[in-house]
Amino acid sequence: MNVFQGTLVFVVVAPGFVFAVFALLWLLDWVPSERLLSWITGLTFAACTSGVAALIWRITSAADITVTFGNWFAVGNYHFPLVLTVDRLSVPFVASAAVLSGLIGQFSATYLHRESGFLRFFLLLHLFAFGSLLAFAAGSFDLLAAGWEIVGITSVLLIGFFERRPAPVENGLYVFGIYRACDIGLLVGIFAMHHWAGTASFGNGFPTLTGVRAVVVCLLFLLAASGKAAQVPFSGWLPRAMEGPTPSSAIFYGAISIHAGAYLLLRAQPLLAQSVLASSLVVLIGAATAIHGTIVGRACADAKTSLAYATLTQVGIVFIEIGLGWRWLAVAHILGNATVRTMQYLRAPSMLHDYHHMHSAIGGQLSPTGKQIEEMLPERIQLWLYRWALDRGNLDTIIERWVIAPLSQLSNYLSRKDRTRAPSPTTIRPGRAVQVPSPEPAQRSN
Amino acid sequence: MSVPGWVLPTPVLTSASITAPWLAAVVVTSVRRQVRVFGCIAALLSIIASAALVWRAPKSESLYETLMLLFSCLTLGAILLLPRRDSEAVTIAGILILLGSTLLAYSTGNLLVLLGAWILSIVPFLWAGWFRPRKRRPLVGLLSSSVAFALAIGFIVANARVVSIANLKGQSPGGIVAFALLVIAVVFRKGIFPMHAWVADAAESGSSVPTALLLNGHFGALLVAKLIVPLFPQTDHLFPVLSYLAIATALFIAIRALAENSPRRLLAFLALSQSACILSGLESRTAEGIAGALVHWFVVTVSTVGLFGILRLLEVRFGENLSASRHLGLAEHAPRLAVSFAILGLALVGLPGTLGFCSQDLLVQGTLTSHPLTGLLLPIATALNAVSFFRLFTRLFLGKRRTGFTVEADALPRERWVLAATVLFVVFGGLFPNAIVIQHSAEAVAVDEAVRTSEILNQVTNAPGNDSCLQCPATEPKREVAPRAPS
Repeated sequence: MNVFQGTLVFVVVAPGFVFAVFALLWLLDWVPSERLLSWITGLTFAACTSGVAALIWRITSAADITVTFGNWFAVGNYHFPLVLTVDRLSVPFVASAAVLSGLIGQFSATYLHRESGFLRFFLLLHLFAFGSLLAFAAGSFDLLAAGWEIVGITSVLLIGFFERRPAPVENGLYVFGIYRACDIGLLVGIFAMHHWAGTASFGNGFPTLTGVRAVVVCLLFLLAASGKAAQVPFSGWLPRAMEGPTPSSAIFYGAISIHAGAYLLLRAQPLLAQSVLASSLVVLIGAATAIHGTIVGRACADAKTSLAYATLTQVGIVFIEIGLGWRWLAVAHILGNATVRTMQYLRAPSMLHDYHHMHSAIGGQLSPTGKQIEEMLPERIQLWLYRWALDRGNLDTIIERWVIAPLSQLSNYLSRKDRTRAPSPTTIRPGRAVQVPSPEPAQRSN
Repeated sequence: MSVPGWVLPTPVLTSASITAPWLAAVVVTSVRRQVRVFGCIAALLSIIASAALVWRAPKSESLYETLMLLFSCLTLGAILLLPRRDSEAVTIAGILILLGSTLLAYSTGNLLVLLGAWILSIVPFLWAGWFRPRKRRPLVGLLSSSVAFALAIGFIVANARVVSIANLKGQSPGGIVAFALLVIAVVFRKGIFPMHAWVADAAESGSSVPTALLLNGHFGALLVAKLIVPLFPQTDHLFPVLSYLAIATALFIAIRALAENSPRRLLAFLALSQSACILSGLESRTAEGIAGALVHWFVVTVSTVGLFGILRLLEVRFGENLSASRHLGLAEHAPRLAVSFAILGLALVGLPGTLGFCSQDLLVQGTLTSHPLTGLLLPIATALNAVSFFRLFTRLFLGKRRTGFTVEADALPRERWVLAATVLFVVFGGLFPNAIVIQHSAEAVAVDEAVRTSEILNQVTNAPGNDSCLQCPATEPKREVAPRAPS
């Protein structure tokens, strides 16, 4: 293992190591001080960022970096390869994950000062950074799935960060359900790759699949990517996810997690390029999401949800770019969107203050973007669209009515059949998405 | 370094591991003091003897020895985890009888002894005052399985006049009737759909920790691995039926669990659904599926006993009327119990970084290879189970803090050690799975090849014109051996 391979391993493993050490110490009844925790967080991500800089320098001057550890486990003809790789596609994602996680860590040290879940937040931040770096630096879809799942579970646990209120907890459950349902696509897609191509590793060349097989794998990956990237029809979970603390919303739904789906499709681009059907579907879903996001975002009453839909619109456009094969445009778009959204999310608690500043500077009100286009529509359609946007495109209603309610009814029916005595059947319908985001710690302390 | 066989012969070690808990059970019921200490010593003796057996066994033939070690460790953990109010002489004695009979079932190669162990393991659950559930269905389920198993053994012995399992391999003794009775025994004992209701009733209305131990003996899966697969290769065309039933059970129970509000029943459903995956993996007849099933056996066993143990601790601290219908906010009072509960539960449903992820991965690979369409139901069932578990976790531990409760209710040091051991097992097992997977991989490959060999032998003996096959029609078509996955 040369120095660059060692650097790659360090960048991926360091946040996971910090998480493991602090979690173990907590289990042994030792709680670190806020100062120590934020200092070690800063140090870790600074080291990771330096490591990423070295990796970027190496990749631009020489070749990709791949580290092979053999198999995580192997049975018969099935292997789970443990391969890390950074190439020109993954290095921007690795860099943004390391840099933005460090930024969020520094911001949160002040933002969550004296919050009861301070340690929990930082532990989950480190775990998330480890998961996302693992997913982006994975040299096989198997390992990518492992990182993907870790990102999912940390995302859900941070949505329920303010655990004393039922709404964040219930919304976390809803998001978890969507994630798990869509991740079936990733698992089965990887199985299909193993079954048909004999490997799901792309560290040393992409698995060869053609015809219907390529289409099937693409469609399965598209399901997983749509769930993770909140594309139509799964967009309903994104506003619910705004219940988490603002720094976690910034890193998850403004920057890293929301773009993981796009990364998966970019990774599967060689397959996607072979299938007109799958590419068209990616474009279609992206277009539908972009339109949905821009319309619904206009009717949102709070800052974070508006930002969430603005992000969604851009991710929809990224999907269009991927479907059309404009790979590097999509990467540039993702990097720009992630950076801007992170900044906007972190400024969200002071948005009113910022607006007052801007209004006083320009001596009037800012006109909302696209207002002239809205006014071109007949008033009746404007009204209809407004009502449609208020219910967030009825997507939650559709999922609740056609998926959750039938499952709930079936489960209650089986419960009645099962029990000898009358049960107290419940509905698994989660709470409605809360329109107003959680009060920020700073506001609550006032 | 190996110990010569005459120092500690295998029969002596096996007998020691089995009789130590039984003797301790007798002592505990007569002395009725320091019962937890006696229980722990007996379980420790079983652990030492089982560990020696594992050490001595060849790599690809140590499955049952490893299971003996696992169950002994599990029993020790369960005894330590039992709250004080449950640590009565009767409870500890019952658990020790269960331990001895389970180890006997794992270790025996004799049909009649296996039947005896099977029946002995349910004895504490039949008598009032021991672990008998307040509802009737568990008794019916357990008794039905025992009757079916006894009839099957009767048919086999009457037909073959041999009681050694090794001598019966590949002979289909007792024919289709014995096979059907064995399947019925598995269906009842394992709670396979439609005979699943007794498991939830037993968990809800009986002693939770002993019931978890009973379920995690996995006698149903043991019967499949020990008798059905090796003894009946000629009925291999019927194996998929059992697999379909297992997959249907996994999905059915997963859907059923979605609306359940009783934590005990919900955990029982999760355990049932996930352990049905074991059966489907064992039956998949792929090395991946079998290895996945064996590893999953470990995960389900450790996780569910830990989860039931934590739930019992919560019941003792916060009252027995816990419900998942509202948020109870227990995490603030018991944060370490909450974290252990989350990790064990997520391991059960395949969280990456835990051993459950590896076992689920192998199970999905194996099941989808052998049954591409029905195998799809397995990841769906696991996803639904994950949602049900997460709902239970959020309802029990998150939400508004309970007012008027000021006592520290987190894990005691004794409980903390047990929970730390279970959590470390699933986490380190997940980070370094090869230590466990390689061993089961060797066993799985051995089982896989044994089944394939018996299939090929079966094809040869069934070939038209071969007079040695008297039971099969000469026109029976050859069955193709399933292709191996491409390397």
